[in-house]
Amino acid sequence: MFGLNLIPPIARTALAMLIVGGLMGYAGTAFATTLVADSGVLGGGGESNDAHKYMMALLQRESESLSRLRPTRDVVSRALEQQNASQQRQDVKPLSVTYLGGGSSGRISVHIYAVEIQAGGGQYQFFPLALTIVGGKVVRVE
Amino acid sequence: MSNAGALGSGPINSVRAAVILATFLGGLVTGVVTYAATDKGSDANPYASLPRAGEPAVGADVARALANDDARALANQLDQEVLQQLQSAIEPLADIRSMKFVGAVEKNGRTLAAYVAGGRTSDGTDVLIGFVLRVTGDQIVGVN
Repeated sequence: MFGLNLIPPIARTALAMLIVGGLMGYAGTAFATTLVADSGVLGGGGESNDAHKYMMALLQRESESLSRLRPTRDVVSRALEQQNASQQRQDVKPLSVTYLGGGSSGRISVHIYAVEIQAGGGQYQFFPLALTIVGGKVVRVE
Repeated sequence: MSNAGALGSGPINSVRAAVILATFLGGLVTGVVTYAATDKGSDANPYASLPRAGEPAVGADVARALANDDARALANQLDQEVLQQLQSAIEPLADIRSMKFVGAVEKNGRTLAAYVAGGRTSDGTDVLIGFVLRVTGDQIVGVN
């Protein structure tokens, strides 16, 4: 079938081993790097990719990205959220975003950040944000 | 005859095994390299980050009191307003089983010390809550 019989048996086996090895290498590396990044074993503090994306979307007022990272909600709630985002003051400037750390238990994880912003009137704010993530969705922001 | 045949195919089998092993290892390395080349990872943080600070002593005292279920110590350490903020921050946690300091930063004399508390709600559901103590000098002035 597919002319495989024309290939010598040793070459067929070698080709199969190459494909199996490649798949195992790719999947194994993906699994290991995700595990290491989320646990913070090799530095990086264990910051979750979802938490990082959410914080960036929040500070850059990307309501579409925020919606994707939150649990599915009804269309009216999403419309209200977009309206609120567009009405927010556009002159707020983030000065720093520091990942403080987090923890996880099963599917639940908590990630905490310290944020510095400069409001339009020159008002300076330094406050924390704690994100609770369940199954890759941000379910609570405080 | 069969012994002679087996002896004769020995080197061939070894070569065959070596080729198969080599291609498998080659595939494994190719897979790792392909992942490394195509993985975008997390987007870099475009904002500045503050340097880490140590855990404030008052924060450690409060965390210890929470972990030990010591209401008297909490009442002595925090005023009523801060206690109410702490109550809201750890809601709906009713039974604290673990408490972990995860990090702190300091800016202009104000320290934010972050903790993660694990435990159960009043209906027995396991939850994980993050809260932050706002410390100025050696006093806790607020909880988020």
